[in-house]
Amino acid sequence: MPLGLRRASLLAACAALLSPLSHAQAATVGPVTDDIGVLTIPKGAPIQIAGYWVISGADAALGTDEVRGVQIAFKDHGDMIAGHPVKLSVEDDGCNAEGGQTAATKIAANPNVVLAIGPACSSSATAAAPILWKQGIADIGTATTAPKLTAPDRKPEYDGYVRTVYSDLDQGKSDAGYVYNDMKARKVVTIHDGSPFAQQLAAVMADNFKKLGGEVLSVEAIAPTDVDMHPLLTRIATEKPDVVYLPIFVAATAQIIRQKSEVSGLEKTTFIGSSGVMAPDLISAGGPAVVGFKITYPDVSPDALGKGYPAFVAKYKEAYGEGPISGYNANAYDAGVMAITAIEKVAVTAADGTTYIGKKALRDAIYATKFEGLSGPIACDPHGECAAFKPAVYEYTNADPATFDIGKNPKKIFP
Amino acid sequence: MSTSTLTPGLPAPGRTFKQNLARLTFVDVALWTLRLLVLVVVVGGTIGTLINTKYGVAQWFDFIMFGVTIGSIYAQIALGYTMVYGVLRLINFAHGDIMMTGAFSGYFIATSFDRSGFLGAHPVLAVLGTLAVSVTVSTAIAVLAERVAYRPFRHVRGLAPLICAIGVSFFLEQTFRGMFGASVKSYPDLHWASASFSVAGLNVPKIDLLVIGCAIISMTVLYLVIHHTKMGTAIRAVSEDTEAAALMGIDVNRVVVFTFMLGGVMAGIAGVFYAFVFKQIYFYMGFTPGIKAFGAAVLGGIGSVPGAMIGGFFLGIVESVGPTLFFDGIGIPAPYQLRDLIAFTLLIMVLIFRPNGLLGERLAKPRA
Repeated sequence: MPLGLRRASLLAACAALLSPLSHAQAATVGPVTDDIGVLTIPKGAPIQIAGYWVISGADAALGTDEVRGVQIAFKDHGDMIAGHPVKLSVEDDGCNAEGGQTAATKIAANPNVVLAIGPACSSSATAAAPILWKQGIADIGTATTAPKLTAPDRKPEYDGYVRTVYSDLDQGKSDAGYVYNDMKARKVVTIHDGSPFAQQLAAVMADNFKKLGGEVLSVEAIAPTDVDMHPLLTRIATEKPDVVYLPIFVAATAQIIRQKSEVSGLEKTTFIGSSGVMAPDLISAGGPAVVGFKITYPDVSPDALGKGYPAFVAKYKEAYGEGPISGYNANAYDAGVMAITAIEKVAVTAADGTTYIGKKALRDAIYATKFEGLSGPIACDPHGECAAFKPAVYEYTNADPATFDIGKNPKKIFP
Repeated sequence: MSTSTLTPGLPAPGRTFKQNLARLTFVDVALWTLRLLVLVVVVGGTIGTLINTKYGVAQWFDFIMFGVTIGSIYAQIALGYTMVYGVLRLINFAHGDIMMTGAFSGYFIATSFDRSGFLGAHPVLAVLGTLAVSVTVSTAIAVLAERVAYRPFRHVRGLAPLICAIGVSFFLEQTFRGMFGASVKSYPDLHWASASFSVAGLNVPKIDLLVIGCAIISMTVLYLVIHHTKMGTAIRAVSEDTEAAALMGIDVNRVVVFTFMLGGVMAGIAGVFYAFVFKQIYFYMGFTPGIKAFGAAVLGGIGSVPGAMIGGFFLGIVESVGPTLFFDGIGIPAPYQLRDLIAFTLLIMVLIFRPNGLLGERLAKPRA
């Protein structure tokens, strides 16, 4: 083969290999023209929606709960969207960036995916959202609260990302106020695990705590997989903080609250966690040490949520044989509703039953969706922030995982 | 051609400084820079931390105690790696998962004992029962892995045995995930061992003493088995030269199976004590301690049983003490997130200075 031809073949092969990674192109298919491409769904074929959450490991309850929230939203709509059956395929992202990247790459490789819902973890969303949007797949986050994901200065690669959950900018401020004003703490240590969620929430809380007049003795960090927290706790004990604020996840939180009693000098220090540990797995992993452990969390009591929440919980129990196993099921339900509403708004079905969906139009429709959601009012700002934070503090009261019932164990103690 | 071995980066004897300087390569410069950097951080950080009186004797004692505890678990797991490597020249990457299988099986018996009140009423018997189940399961799985997965590859050169070991690792993880779920399970508390007692003002957790004591006993027994029994002698013979050992009438298959059995026993013990200290178990729990223990085995000198023990303790202590001792004094914030960096930098440094590890590979002749 001549050198030029061989080179051309090589370039073509490279182009073919790289084509799934290139940004979607403007297209006109059937009656629809769209800036970044059009999805065609033949008559009777399912509307494919991809989900990616953490559904294994210590934080499995967080993601599984959200999968269920979305499933109930679809079920409430007859499991049909725009005249097509809906098919939700769920990937496990492991609640980390690598898992998010893998899940997003797999989702992006499927040309029939209409949109993505999830994840639960900001680290996963940070890696996944650009990969999805490069393929023109909009993504609705369900518990990803890291401020940077919807910050005004976020990069264009996040343009396809919205979330039906609040920003940690609000939670961090609220948590600082609770620790300073209600717990009367003046010296805190924060611990994060390097994830965007924990790192950014800890930083926002620390900044606000300092503004209130408090002192941040140190900002500590661990790896999510660390098991031996004794040396870290020994180090913290020398600083004698009033409060240790640890907005991290189940496995590491459970290790810390178990091991703190084995380190001298922390007897008078209160440990307070955050949104990542509203799960029965914390009780299993933390054992008796979980009793008295406080966590800051959005107010998910029935009176704080939408009117439909009690009915939703009844459906949840009927479908899965247990009550909600974490706290973002309402946000996930709202994400499902948002997906249905937006798809039905832009889907164009031809006379032969084939449905066409413009990708850019779908993204814009998602951003334009406004409704009274199960978790509260849903209305997106130009950067994809669609929900507001309602602060609350919960305290675990029982070490039996079977007693997990948000509002009872952990019990709401604030406001 | 000279047969002498030169350590990379070190000047050759008999050459002048100028000659050595002229022969310096980019790699030499990089290695010396790394050494100097590590030296500056370690020495500067240590001096800075010790000048600062933030930490007293009690805190340093705690750091060391916690390090020895986790180190004793690393050491027990590392023994499985090192023995299998010694006999088969195979890095058994599934060994951390064999530890996981022991911890899982122990969990079911331990929780049963806890629910029935047996754990509280007869703690020693309950722990022994838990250990027995854990050791039985982990040993059986180790032996099965050898028979089903590793033996067919025993005489295969190249990377196939290593890939097979990684495959066994995934197989065990996903099997346990499928059988027992993906969520975290929690070992019951040993109430009688959860408290601490004070010696000369120093805090001594009972559970740490128990774990360290049992680890030392089990490793001593293992050492005696290897050095003072016929089968131990056979293991050492196969480790030195498999073909010569076979010619001398040693049943190599039997020796290999026995080696896997010993590794499985140590993994079972390590799994239970790991779980009694750190409580949480799940299907992926073997990966991180497995990698750390492999590092410990390399650190001590893979193939060397005492090396694995020392490597494990050393790694545990460095992980526990290092972040504070090295980084606090030079003002690096949140030093505990750099714990793995310290551990593996240490591993790299040891391998640069002593490629065969702290105690070296105990061989009668060089390996190919």
